[in-house]
Amino acid sequence: MVLSAWELTEKTEMCSDLTERVLLYLDGHERVDTLHLAVLFRVDHQKVIGAVKSLQAVGDLVSVEQMVHKEWKLTDEGRKVAENGSHEAIVYKAVPLQGILLSDLTNNVPDLKIGFSKAMSYGWIKVTKQGKDSLVTRKVESITDVVQEHLRDILTDNSSQVDDEHKQVYCKRKLLQELTIRSYQLTKGKDFTISVEKAQSDLTVEMVASGSWREEKFKPYNLDALGAPLNCGHLHPLLRLRAEFRQIFLEMGFTEMPTNNYIENSFWNFDALFQPQQHPARDAHDTFFISNPQISSHFPPEYLQKVKQVHSKGGYGSQGYGCDWKIEEAQKNLLRTHTTAVSARMLYLLAKEGFKPSKYFSIDRVFRNETLDATHLAEFHQVEGVIADYSLTLGDLIGTLYEFFNKLGITKLQFKPAYNPYTEPSMEVFCYHAGLGKWIEVGNSGIFRPEMLLPMGLPEDVNVIAWGLSLERPTMIKYGLNNIRDLVGAKIDLQMVHNSPLCRLEKNGTLGTDVIQMLEQRWTSILSQLQALHTELQELQISSDKLPGPSDKNIEFVILSDPNHPPYSVIILLKVLTGRYKIEILSHVHSSISLVPSELQSFLNGLLNSSSGSRCIKVTLIWKKVGKDPLLIQCPMNNGTIAGEVNISRYLNRLLEQRPNPVLVYESKGEFYAGQVDMWLDSIYKSVTHGSKDMHLDIMPSISAVLVKQDWLIHSVSIADICFWSSLKQNPCLINFNSNLKKWFEKCQHIWFT
Amino acid sequence: MPIIGVKRDLLFKSLGQEYIHFLFSSADDQFSDLCFEFGLELDEVTTEKQMITNEQGAEQSAGASEDIVYRIEIPANRYDLLCLEGLVLGLLVFQGKLSPPRYKAVTPEKGSVQKLIVTPATKLIRPYAVAAVLRNITFNQDSYKSFIDLQDKLHQNICRKRSLVAIGTHDLDTVVGPFTYDAKPPSDIKFQALNQDKEYTATELMDLYSTHAQLKQYLHIIKDSPVYPIIYDKNGVVLSMPPIINGNHSRITLNTRNVFIECTALDLTKAKIVLDTLICMFSQYCIDKYTAECCEVLLPDGTVTRYPELAYREEVVNIQKTNTYIGISEPADKIAKLLTKMCLKSEVANSEDQVIVEVPPSRHDVIHACDIYEDVAVSYGYNNIKKTIPKTATIGAQFPLNKLSDQLREQIAQAGFTEVLTFSLCSRDDIATKLGRNINDIPAVHISNPKTLEFQVARTTLVPGLLKTLAANKKMPLPMKLFEVSDVVIRDETAEVGARNERRGCALNCNRTPGFEIIHGLLDRLMQLLEIPRSSNKDMTGYYLQAVDDPAYFPQRCAEVVANGQVIGIMGVLHPDVIMKFELTHPVACLEINIEPFV
Repeated sequence: MVLSAWELTEKTEMCSDLTERVLLYLDGHERVDTLHLAVLFRVDHQKVIGAVKSLQAVGDLVSVEQMVHKEWKLTDEGRKVAENGSHEAIVYKAVPLQGILLSDLTNNVPDLKIGFSKAMSYGWIKVTKQGKDSLVTRKVESITDVVQEHLRDILTDNSSQVDDEHKQVYCKRKLLQELTIRSYQLTKGKDFTISVEKAQSDLTVEMVASGSWREEKFKPYNLDALGAPLNCGHLHPLLRLRAEFRQIFLEMGFTEMPTNNYIENSFWNFDALFQPQQHPARDAHDTFFISNPQISSHFPPEYLQKVKQVHSKGGYGSQGYGCDWKIEEAQKNLLRTHTTAVSARMLYLLAKEGFKPSKYFSIDRVFRNETLDATHLAEFHQVEGVIADYSLTLGDLIGTLYEFFNKLGITKLQFKPAYNPYTEPSMEVFCYHAGLGKWIEVGNSGIFRPEMLLPMGLPEDVNVIAWGLSLERPTMIKYGLNNIRDLVGAKIDLQMVHNSPLCRLEKNGTLGTDVIQMLEQRWTSILSQLQALHTELQELQISSDKLPGPSDKNIEFVILSDPNHPPYSVIILLKVLTGRYKIEILSHVHSSISLVPSELQSFLNGLLNSSSGSRCIKVTLIWKKVGKDPLLIQCPMNNGTIAGEVNISRYLNRLLEQRPNPVLVYESKGEFYAGQVDMWLDSIYKSVTHGSKDMHLDIMPSISAVLVKQDWLIHSVSIADICFWSSLKQNPCLINFNSNLKKWFEKCQHIWFT
Repeated sequence: MPIIGVKRDLLFKSLGQEYIHFLFSSADDQFSDLCFEFGLELDEVTTEKQMITNEQGAEQSAGASEDIVYRIEIPANRYDLLCLEGLVLGLLVFQGKLSPPRYKAVTPEKGSVQKLIVTPATKLIRPYAVAAVLRNITFNQDSYKSFIDLQDKLHQNICRKRSLVAIGTHDLDTVVGPFTYDAKPPSDIKFQALNQDKEYTATELMDLYSTHAQLKQYLHIIKDSPVYPIIYDKNGVVLSMPPIINGNHSRITLNTRNVFIECTALDLTKAKIVLDTLICMFSQYCIDKYTAECCEVLLPDGTVTRYPELAYREEVVNIQKTNTYIGISEPADKIAKLLTKMCLKSEVANSEDQVIVEVPPSRHDVIHACDIYEDVAVSYGYNNIKKTIPKTATIGAQFPLNKLSDQLREQIAQAGFTEVLTFSLCSRDDIATKLGRNINDIPAVHISNPKTLEFQVARTTLVPGLLKTLAANKKMPLPMKLFEVSDVVIRDETAEVGARNERRGCALNCNRTPGFEIIHGLLDRLMQLLEIPRSSNKDMTGYYLQAVDDPAYFPQRCAEVVANGQVIGIMGVLHPDVIMKFELTHPVACLEINIEPFV
């Protein structure tokens, strides 16, 4: 809310008056509650609070402590009861000594129901059947209306007389309510004074004129608040990007083409560009044709003949398209499908007026009768650049595109061979989008075909290079929009227009790479700090002790596992390590197990016979009833037990990757990678190993979908794959979830066990 | 651009590419890079099951193959890459693992050549036909499917949905030549069509297929013709009724050994290309590899032509010209090698400064030397070409109308108006009914084939677009001041195409009261900027307002803007009916002027 100047002064004066009174009162008293002051000054409590707040703003004049008061207050109904008695008392009083028929009582007492049942339960009245009606009589001679008394006590501020239990009952009966009131307890502050200087809120013209500002005190501004919104106009973000593109072309010496002709005929839109008459683009599915004015009739006759000739019969070194060329097809009017129609007119004009090297550009609307979606509209802006000169090369086009896109903040380009009826060679332009981490298509380019240029009368050794892109696409990427309708058309959000930032392509990077670059920088700095820490740690390790490095220490541990849930992952891990380590495995059977399946035993033996390498891993495998989660005991002294297959794998992987040339990497490949591994391990542990059937159904499709696309869960093999394989092996029904998964399972088995 | 789907494993096997398990760059990425270099795009990695699921739902996909399928985008003019066979050949030659094959057409012994007799009646509907035979061919499941798919791809692309060319392929051993290509009234045609269990007349077939998912799109090609094209053999067995359906009798199967191919067409050149492409792609499965057997086509005028042509054409390209076109400097022998990699077998001419290029029948896309230059550039690698800056020295210039528009836009925004950008196309109602006008009185350009109401006409005024933007932004605080400087399109018989653009500036103010004075203030400001003085005596110099009645505006609240004696626009308070029709609630004052007189 914005207050007028008058309202502001009014308010301040009122407050300042009140602040003085508060201070004066406090001068004579030790402490006071704002509620009390409100009563005393006969002003609204909120106003007193306002005065206190403004005192607080000046300095430590008063010390303030917030108080919470609970107050019992009668409801409207409660007040009636206090006045007239409770409902039940009213009923009792309405029953005369001789009794009364229930039907009469109902007529006499409004709201009989509430009081009647209460009076009955208190045993004040009784009911006897009398014919069709009932007779109500008094049961006791007199009553005490406790409810009324209590409520009267509360009304007269003696609420302490009433115990809490009763109060709760009255609350339930909606006779009473409890109010919470916040107030402030005021005491004198450190800088207490009764003469407060009135602080000015702002400099005024009078103060400047009189010089009184020298004596005044000013309230500090609240610098955390926002400024006032401005009333300003705005330019549309797409057109601001258009201005940027225009600027770039002008900087590069290009001349703007007159593209203010949305209606074009097929001749200039297609035929002049050597686009065959049966080309799909000329279909009603792709192009808007015009019913009124339906056709064009004015064409340069000589040029028209040459175009007809080159299409149907060829010429200028071309075979042509070898099919009929009809003037009727060329006459059809349409909404231009590209601004290249204007480029064709310009080149024709250039040839007619005597060729001189030229550069042209345009940015204007074009129309396609396409299916509309989030990124395609029936009309959009095409950006086009054309250079015509003697002996231009494809290298010139590539060089020009680099210069052009450089100015847009795009430095990495790639060119893909493509097909376009009027350019040969044709190139699609791709740029690297750091945010998406991939190459995206940003435009099309090429050298105009001789079949297009020579009929116009351009010299034979003149080449014309050209490129085009849409204006909307880079704008959407720049402003992070996913739907083109948020950018163009009547349905846009004007707030977006108001809020969109300056368009500085060279500075921010057109493709939103600024954020990415910032993140990348931050990332690099974190990495370098980590690196520094790492080096420091290593130095510390070297200098502090002559402990044997981890690489020449033997590894020894015990695994307790259930033969019903054999930890295949551990076995695979060991298997993978056989080339590097000497692996000793001792297997014991705990008394809780009667028999270890022979299949499992031979599986183990068959696997772990190899023993090479200088370092040694000693594993003691004890078969014991431990359930689904095997236990790894590294050091019995420390009680260091690790439970669960995935955790054991993690531990082993960590242990092993500290050594030189690790076979499997996990955390040493960076947090991001480790995070991916962890995510998979957790899902496998939760949803596969310990998961219900439903959970299996949840997770298996997504795992299988990943394994269709890539060989491993993450891009290279990791313990996630090993643990997943192990969980499949333990749940054979899951292997047949689908054929891809089965293939994967068999492939892994092949890799790890043969 | 057409997209073809090929099975990955089959593709890799044909390419002889190892599928490697342990790789940071997956096999997909490697193949994708190869495609990029060659001018193809690996569009999607999927499975047949996935494709069916996406298109028709999961229920339909049960039992479909789960083999990985690569969907690859092929340039629209490379018909030779529209099937696995052609793609593999192209890539192997590109990688230098294979040299381009030599296709040839052989004539069988005298008397046994297959004949296709074209009757004069075909002139009425589909005058051209070509034919050829693939002898001693062996299909397997995959190549058979590929053969069918290629016909479909050709039908969809170069054949323009069968309208220009229609292909029929037949088991030659089930029919007896000579064959006749005729055109007959539909009621006189009766045969058992492909996959039908009984005979129908052509009229019945057209009815039957009117609901067929694929075939219904082709019916219009012949539907209203008094005669339908028909091909039958010596005994009257119908081979096909182009371009709709083949006969069931001559259908090809996995066991077919000899294939008779006929193409009927409106465009002979395209028919020849289609025939050549089919032969080039599938003659590799014949015992006599890359060889097809000729057929004779007898035209009504008595001429006899042998097909397939499988013609090789020689182009001689100048080395210097090639090098300068691309911006490289390669010797003749290197260029010949580069071209051979693109299936264009080339050798250095005697004169050393020329290369003789042999364009094979599989490369009908090569029609000019510039196509050869492109193949040199692709083969050399676009991304290996040295980038240079053209030496073209030019002075840049703005289009004056655009320059003025931009300057005015800047000024209107500075005056507190927010710019919007609305569509040039709209419905007839937007420019007529909703503004209280009759569409017949408006010189609007009408679109003949709009897919929705939004694209019926090109706008003749900017006002509807601004009002629609207002309606979509009711949550914004008042007052709302919007503007747009853009083109409208006006029918104009004196213009070359019968219509012209006109650059307009339009602004409006929407508040609890219309704010005519604000719009008026904007006009005064614009005139001041354009150095048009206010004309107090309403003469030919300067600008003034003159009251006018306009159905879109409130009576007595509307004026024409006259500048230098010419009406350049209109301003006023919009009529409440107009406001209601655009679903608005607040009064609007509006100004629209033509800015072209001020350029």
